[in-house]
Amino acid sequence: MLLAGSECPRARSGLSRFGAALASAQPKIDGVACDPAAAIEAAARILANSRQPLFGGLGTDVAGARALYPLACLTGAICDPAGGAALLHSLRAMQDRGAFTTTLAEVRSRADLIVCIGSLPHERYPEFLRRCGIGEGGAASVIALLPASSPGGAAADGIEIVCFEGDLFDAMALLAACVAGRVAINDAAGSLGALAARLKASRYAVLAYEAAQLPAQGALIIEALNRIVSTLNQRTRAAALPLGGGDGASTVNAVFTWLSGLPLRTRAGPKGLEHEPLRFDATRLLEERSVDALLWIASFGTEPAPPTADLPRIVLGHPDFAAAVQGSGSVFIPVSTPGIGSAGHLFRTDGSVLMPLRAVREDGLPSVADVLGRVTRALQGATA
Amino acid sequence: MTTMRLRGGRVIDPANGVDGQVRELFVRDGRIVTPAPGEAAGEEIDISGCIVMAGGIDMHTHIGGGKVNLARLLMPEMQRAGPNPIALPANPLELASCGGCTPGTLATGYRYVEMGYTAAFEPAMMACNARHTHMEMGDTPILDHGAYVMLGNDELFLEMLSRGADFQRIRDYVGWTINAAKAMGVKVVNPGGISAFKFNQRKLDVDENHVHWQVTPRQVVHTLAKALRELGVPHPLHIHGSNLGVAGNIQSTLETIAALEGLPAHLTHVQFHAYGTEGPKKFSSAALQLAEAVNAHPNVSIDVGQIMFGQTVTASGDTMRQHAQSGLASPRKWIGADIECEAGCGVVPFRYRDQNFVNALQWAIGLEIFLLVNDPWRVVLTTDHPNGGPFTSYPHLIRLLMDRSFRAEQLAKLHPDVAANAALNSITRELSLYEIAIMTRAAPARLLGLKDRGHLGEGAAADIAVYREDADREAMFTTPAYVFKDGALVARAGRITAVPVGGTHFVAPDYDRSIETVLRKHHAAQGSVNFDQLAIGHDELCSCCNGGRLLPAACFERST
Repeated sequence: MLLAGSECPRARSGLSRFGAALASAQPKIDGVACDPAAAIEAAARILANSRQPLFGGLGTDVAGARALYPLACLTGAICDPAGGAALLHSLRAMQDRGAFTTTLAEVRSRADLIVCIGSLPHERYPEFLRRCGIGEGGAASVIALLPASSPGGAAADGIEIVCFEGDLFDAMALLAACVAGRVAINDAAGSLGALAARLKASRYAVLAYEAAQLPAQGALIIEALNRIVSTLNQRTRAAALPLGGGDGASTVNAVFTWLSGLPLRTRAGPKGLEHEPLRFDATRLLEERSVDALLWIASFGTEPAPPTADLPRIVLGHPDFAAAVQGSGSVFIPVSTPGIGSAGHLFRTDGSVLMPLRAVREDGLPSVADVLGRVTRALQGATA
Repeated sequence: MTTMRLRGGRVIDPANGVDGQVRELFVRDGRIVTPAPGEAAGEEIDISGCIVMAGGIDMHTHIGGGKVNLARLLMPEMQRAGPNPIALPANPLELASCGGCTPGTLATGYRYVEMGYTAAFEPAMMACNARHTHMEMGDTPILDHGAYVMLGNDELFLEMLSRGADFQRIRDYVGWTINAAKAMGVKVVNPGGISAFKFNQRKLDVDENHVHWQVTPRQVVHTLAKALRELGVPHPLHIHGSNLGVAGNIQSTLETIAALEGLPAHLTHVQFHAYGTEGPKKFSSAALQLAEAVNAHPNVSIDVGQIMFGQTVTASGDTMRQHAQSGLASPRKWIGADIECEAGCGVVPFRYRDQNFVNALQWAIGLEIFLLVNDPWRVVLTTDHPNGGPFTSYPHLIRLLMDRSFRAEQLAKLHPDVAANAALNSITRELSLYEIAIMTRAAPARLLGLKDRGHLGEGAAADIAVYREDADREAMFTTPAYVFKDGALVARAGRITAVPVGGTHFVAPDYDRSIETVLRKHHAAQGSVNFDQLAIGHDELCSCCNGGRLLPAACFERST
């Protein structure tokens, strides 16, 4: 498959997962090939026998999320995407104090200073700089704020590195204090003081961050970042640019939020509709064996492999994940990938644009939405 | 298909001049019909003692799209019952969904329909967010829906206006945008002001220049109103004016009406735009001035944006004003965004307090506007959900408008200066059921160009609300006895009985397609979205809207 209009290595690597053999992928029960109807029946049986299922991964598009919600309601499943901790960093910071964000077109045409907080985004988002207009006539200076102890990532041309001593929590607190004028910007404030001065002097500053690269309690760093943006907006213009939410996480979060009124890490439990940002952490629930069945969705092929927990597992995934789903009590159903084998919709990283994905070829595989619809109907039939 | 007969009800159908006569209604294939001679109804429902109206139509309610979903993300604490989660629905036809001022789309559909509403229109769709908006509306069950796409703060429009581009080109751009976003109309929000805020301008009066593009809100409003007129779009320009919430903004509102120079337009949530600067607190009601202007300008219609006391969240495209008001956020947090060189948004939680002078006066101003404008066909009942209060407060609002003594009782409980001095004290008008029917269904249908909605004449869609007569109008309008959508019973006595997918209203104006060359060039330079991915086709719209019916509304013949 050819990549046009971009040199993105991540896109190239993603596309390399779609060889010719996909269409021959077959559903499996306990690692043994079976027909699709038997796999649906087996999946429904696992969910029917579960007292507390977990829906994880959530690597799907809007249609998949729309089909997942009724099944989550029917089973009382806890839903948490892969990378849920990162998603919740941004969400909890926003729920506490709010946020002011911007989008790619605004950055490209308006930013005069882009500060990447704590990491070099182009290492994971190879198109980041180009999309911000860097090297394509954009006028922004780009600074990366990194720990002095960092191994020194490959800084791209034109990125200026500003280092800080200690941890990012303290650095952001000091930066926020300097921007707010609570700490004098002088030699004692060092490089952070100088950075604060540049932020204050810029017309439209953008503070970009990758929630997935932040340490535990990263919400505190994002809160400081949001506070800096808020302070700057008293006199000049500034905005945050969160990067992340890929592989369907932010898309499923958006869909569950609009359907139910509450964001992910939710459950339609016996007492009602619960949103528990800390308790409903998939990794912890699996470690503590607080759930007794897992439905893992990974239709893009770029998600983490399904966890190898010792409980009944249903995996709807890219055919490459078949090998990771073996053994008794497992059901694997290969599904098509939105934007490759089927049409679909995914939110762009900045959250404002819902991108249409067109099918580029017929792969003969069902969509996540198809499979979930059939599982839901089978389950309703079983419990009726 | 069999015919259903509703018999014994008093029909209030202002579009057809029917005011309370007992009439039978026949429904076949989802439509109101005249039965063939001797035709027997397969099903009969006795609705004696009931008032029958067309299904309610809310033409300005923030039910879907980016900022609405941000409000939900921001306010999870609203979605609890004290220490407990909100209980799951007892009705097996409903999926779990929270309510209140940031309801899920599912609850939005259920609660509107239980109240007798059958259509709702999202007023602030960003073109870049159009798919998302249609997705949310498609996931709002039962209700028909549509949206107005926002223009007038997008850089391309402002740039064209600024360099004096040919008006026909601007008109074609407006036509293209409506078509690409599958919109029902166009809304302008703080004309030019959202963009100006991105250039660090903090205020923009009607005749003040945008600091970068050097164009005024007056030019923006006039150009857009003219474009829609020429495109033949039935709903005229939907205007959220300049200086929302600012004391003395009546001046801006009157100047905006003047900027129209007689072109048709709809001024939305005018309560927030009808403030004077009199009195010791330099904040006063300008409802009378506004009503006089509306009475004198037949080209203008309004919806009110009544406020209701209690917690809500304001979700607006007006980044400039929401930033300015963010200090009043309660709880103290808010979300803002600059979006795609096209729009913005601001989500500010707010608690309207009856003992707060400003809030109490806002409440009185809204009611004064309802009661001082003479022509109910140009006034639509809204709370600008959720900005003035959630849509579930409509029955209470209806009682305030219909029951003078109830109104006086409520007014007496407010901040003493308002209770004692509000002009509302001296207004004796009580709206009739006929006037309420105009403001909640007949007028919005007419203002949107929906020929087969909002009335009960032959051929109309059988969207019907049947209310049991009750002197307590709040109780009466809270729980209709029956609600029909396209002839199907969807709610009975406050309980959902069927959950069909609603349809999508949109318009498809004609325009010169060569404008696409200009747009392609613009998007290539901006580099954010591939031009070929922008427009939503009919098939894609259908999948966004969950397979609901597509309901294109006809444009009128061009006047030029």
